[in-house]
Amino acid sequence: MMHLECSNITYSYPGTDHKVLDALTCTLSRPGFHSIFGPSGVGKSSFARLLADLNRHTFLGKIEFTEIQTVLYSYNLERLPGWSSAGAHLDKVVAKEKEALKQELINIFELSPLLGSRFHQLSMGQQNRINLIRYLLQTFDLLILDESLANVDEKLRQAIILTIKRIFPQKMFLYISHNLMEVSTFCDEILVFGGGSTGKSYGTIQGQNCCSSEAVDRKKVDETMLEIMNAF
Amino acid sequence: MLFRRIYQFLLVYFAGISGLLLVKLLVGLSDYVIPGIPLIFATAGETAKGYFFDVLNTLQVTVLGQVISIILAFTVGIAGRKSSWIGSFIKMIAYNIQAYPIVALAPIIFILLGDGFIPRLLIASMICYFPLLLSVLGVMSSPVKDIEHFYIITGKMRWQLEVKIRAFENLSKLATVISGSATLAMAGAIVAEFIAADAGIGYSIRIALYQSDLAKILVALFMIGIVISIYQGLLESASERIQKAWAISSGN
Repeated sequence: MMHLECSNITYSYPGTDHKVLDALTCTLSRPGFHSIFGPSGVGKSSFARLLADLNRHTFLGKIEFTEIQTVLYSYNLERLPGWSSAGAHLDKVVAKEKEALKQELINIFELSPLLGSRFHQLSMGQQNRINLIRYLLQTFDLLILDESLANVDEKLRQAIILTIKRIFPQKMFLYISHNLMEVSTFCDEILVFGGGSTGKSYGTIQGQNCCSSEAVDRKKVDETMLEIMNAF
Repeated sequence: MLFRRIYQFLLVYFAGISGLLLVKLLVGLSDYVIPGIPLIFATAGETAKGYFFDVLNTLQVTVLGQVISIILAFTVGIAGRKSSWIGSFIKMIAYNIQAYPIVALAPIIFILLGDGFIPRLLIASMICYFPLLLSVLGVMSSPVKDIEHFYIITGKMRWQLEVKIRAFENLSKLATVISGSATLAMAGAIVAEFIAADAGIGYSIRIALYQSDLAKILVALFMIGIVISIYQGLLESASERIQKAWAISSGN
């Protein structure tokens, strides 16, 4: 069973004494749409980059992947090269056997009319959708989405998350977002990173993991949100 | 772009001539030291045609020298872009050689190779090569992280793609450096012709210098300025077109 286990991870950027991660221990025990949640500057993105490229970083502790061979990390400030249109770029980086999936994702992500445009001509939300789509069409076991849906409107964001959950049930996703409601509603296991005056704190909270917008139990979502807020 | 270059040169040139004439007037110098306007015009009438062809001769060396420099700078810049030991070694050598005034090596080249086309070409290339190399190295060794990340993490990065991304993202910078290097290449060619050559505008200026004929030198400078302005203007227009074409039409 796909599994990610981190024990006592302590990490500082080279040349600094500041511990970005301090004795972080957490587990993601199954595939699904998980999340890292916490205020800015607590080390969410640093942890994500660490997971994505273990060999490049020196850290204390142990990270164990089970049935996870390929980890991809996408973030919301990425750009596509400017010499070709977004559609031409997608054609180049997507394998032929994934053509049908590509078309399906393009339709759900509402990108069809934008494929002829250059990346810089798109809005930030459109850019993020194009960027996310190219990652979803690669081979991966764990995909980290670091604010990858920033600037996308709420309705479409919800549709995209539900699509990802429907199409990729056997993959593991780690979604970094500052949207408490969204994380509580749609994510499975939520790693909560706290960085208060008493030092760093980490915890795991079970999200509602809703798979359709109708299945949302508002009361339970409120409880999860409260639990997350109290965990800071 | 082309006309702006010529217009700017004419402004600077005539400001310089006016300055000289002002000095002549204030100090009361003779025509022998600083020629008057009629003498400059008379000399221009006699020598302009010959000097024009001399400048074209120098321009041939300039263009060829610049092309060689560009090819070499891109080859070495691309090879030296990595933070491997080879990359660091190339950068270290380039920075150190660049700090040395290459023109001082010109006499050695002439002793070894004699007068003629090859020494002029070599000096013109060498003078514009190192500044070009430093710029190309700077561009090629600076990752464009927000674009390259995807290719690196998905294992799709190839050196050709890396070079293409970095060149595309710094296209205007590279274009400016290339068009600017034309002046350096011409300076190199003229210096080579000053020292030892049997053709080119530098050679003609050397003869005028021996004759202490400032009018001839001023006409030669005018010819050099006009021709290099046209050449740079054409280079800039071409690079602007290439940038537009690459940004708009390719890849679709």
